[in-house]
Amino acid sequence: MPDPVQSNPGGNKTLTLATKPFAPDDEAALREALKRCSPSTFEAAVQFRKTGNADHMPAVVIGVIERFVEPDLRAKLKDADDDLRLIEDLGIDSLTMMEIVILVEDVLQLSINNDELRNLRTVGDVKTFIDCKIRGLPLPRPTKFLPIEHIGAVMPVQPPFLFLNEASVSSTGANGKYKITGQEFFLQGHFKDNPIMPASIMLEALGQLAVLYLIEGAPTEPGKAIGPNTIFFTGCEGVRAHRMCKPGDILTLSIKPKRMKMPLATFEGSIRVGQEKAVIAEDITLTFAYVESAVAPAAIEAGGQPAPEADASANPPLRVAINA
Amino acid sequence: MPRVYITGVGFVTSIGNDAASVAASLREQRHGFELYPPFQKPEISCKVIGTIKGFSTDSTDPEDWTYPSAYTVKRETIRSMAPHGLYTHCAMLQAIADAKLGDADVSNADTGLFAASGGSPMLTYYHHERLLRLGPARCSPLGIVASIVGTLNFNLVAAFKIQGASTGFSSACASSAHALAYAFEEISLGRQKRMFIAAGEDGNRDAILPFAGMRTLSLQTDPALASRPFDVARDGFVGTGGGTVLVLESEEEVSRRGARPYCELAGWGQASDGYNVAISHPDGTGSRNAMERALKAARISAAEVDYVNAHATSTLIGDVSEARALRSVFGEMGVRPAVSSTKSLTGHGLSLAGAMETGFCAVLMREGFMPGSAHITNLDPACEGLNILRATVPQAPKVVMKNSSGFGGANVALLMRRV
Repeated sequence: MPDPVQSNPGGNKTLTLATKPFAPDDEAALREALKRCSPSTFEAAVQFRKTGNADHMPAVVIGVIERFVEPDLRAKLKDADDDLRLIEDLGIDSLTMMEIVILVEDVLQLSINNDELRNLRTVGDVKTFIDCKIRGLPLPRPTKFLPIEHIGAVMPVQPPFLFLNEASVSSTGANGKYKITGQEFFLQGHFKDNPIMPASIMLEALGQLAVLYLIEGAPTEPGKAIGPNTIFFTGCEGVRAHRMCKPGDILTLSIKPKRMKMPLATFEGSIRVGQEKAVIAEDITLTFAYVESAVAPAAIEAGGQPAPEADASANPPLRVAINA
Repeated sequence: MPRVYITGVGFVTSIGNDAASVAASLREQRHGFELYPPFQKPEISCKVIGTIKGFSTDSTDPEDWTYPSAYTVKRETIRSMAPHGLYTHCAMLQAIADAKLGDADVSNADTGLFAASGGSPMLTYYHHERLLRLGPARCSPLGIVASIVGTLNFNLVAAFKIQGASTGFSSACASSAHALAYAFEEISLGRQKRMFIAAGEDGNRDAILPFAGMRTLSLQTDPALASRPFDVARDGFVGTGGGTVLVLESEEEVSRRGARPYCELAGWGQASDGYNVAISHPDGTGSRNAMERALKAARISAAEVDYVNAHATSTLIGDVSEARALRSVFGEMGVRPAVSSTKSLTGHGLSLAGAMETGFCAVLMREGFMPGSAHITNLDPACEGLNILRATVPQAPKVVMKNSSGFGGANVALLMRRV
């Protein structure tokens, strides 16, 4: 299923790179290098090498990854979102990752350092990484996986009003999961003998994920951080609910920044349950402010060092209320 | 001291890819030699090897290899293998099934694996040439574990989740006899309950041709004449590869599982020639001492030995040297056990030879025959005085000795007893 909030992490512009002329010998070498990949992978690689059009890159990268995944796991790549994890979901170990890189380098004519590989954990990370390499952009910060303990420690929102169980944050967006337990206090009344997750609460959960992105993932200037207690809700547009969500459902939440300029940050957001669309929000806008960061910024360091844990008591509970 | 038994075997050899076909080839004296296509060039003087059938491992890319459909090897497993890694992996699967071992019997702290192989000259060359030409960034991250001596133990220990003792042995053509011997120790000292002994050789151009440089290969062009240990016209050995896995288990484990052993591994001995880096001592002193130590350790008298599976590779000096050692050990006691060299059928498996031929001994003890030494037309007078079998004798030996010798004058003798 095409997912509007997951596509093209590198931006929408079509970029054409100057490339060396593509000789018949090169095509033969490319065919040999990609002989165990799908025909469409080879085609995309030929197009990339002939035209330098970076839009062909994702098909090449996914095709190369697919070739190194055991056949029984390849189905996962077919409908993969960018959050699919290389190690946990696809069984790719660090040595296989190197095999992938060597082939991608060969096919796309890039060179990649070992250090740059350490933080690639998802299919989306790999696509973004290769895209940045091709376009000559600075490399993104790695995706960071946050367990509930970390989320609870850094978020201004706290239980029983925290609707994230786990989350992953990168510089290009955030993904999270929340399981509706049936024990949520508001389900006693919403509705009588018929517990259904309120749409307003689902938008609240998306808002909380956007707050987490601002704290953990958003690019900031050196020495500055976004203050957790400066973040508030301002507006929301284009909201549609597609599916009733009930106890037992696992909400898969995703947000992506669309615009960010102090003091406003606008996100698009979506919630799925399995492969089913549950909620779409075209615009969720939050306000925020920078504060001087006393120590290191809360966001992830490039070297993969864990961010210092903020003291939860220093962040009074705060509202990211949504008027749906 | 607890007794040690051979309870499972697996073979990928020039004379058969399972125990049943190996037994039939030995009994019927069917050899595994062919003219080897890569050697049919004017500058290559030797022409014949013992070929592995049903496998194709010529490519330097393991994903190009083909193998019998009875086996399935995942990409993540085969990618770090040498050709002999694949052969021995398949032999391991046979041995596990043969010994009726479940996953939990294979992967536990009381089960180990000792291996022997000469590494993979083909892959060493391929990866190293690329390394120097293209630089490390363009090289396979697994080139080294597929190539170096030790590749066999690295791969099998990982693939079969071995948790007990593991290491490799390197004494050239005595390697896998040493692996068996020290696996026996591991069990008899109570350190392990079960050991796999895995041995393999690529047996391809790059593994065999260096011995042509040493002028030690047969130059015969007739596959039926090339390997003829003890014959006066022998002119060198015929190379071969493949894989063999044996399962050794303690007496306690055999009775706990109700396993049906092939035979007891009764003891072993070793000694060195202290003579020359590559030439056997003319009097076979190291080999003689190894045999005598094995007999002493196993508390078996020379008169009890019914059959000796000789190391004899069909080289001019080596066969005579071993014949002298045998005459010394047995002749002085006035006994003449049956002697034959199954290398007359398989060729010389180098590091693989000791385990492969011990596997043969296990099978022939159960099947009840002593295989003849093939291709002898005129016995070398220097080998007279021994009871060298020329035809298969349909009689089960009660006690069998297996000799192995390697470069540097390393000699190992193993003793097996019928159950």
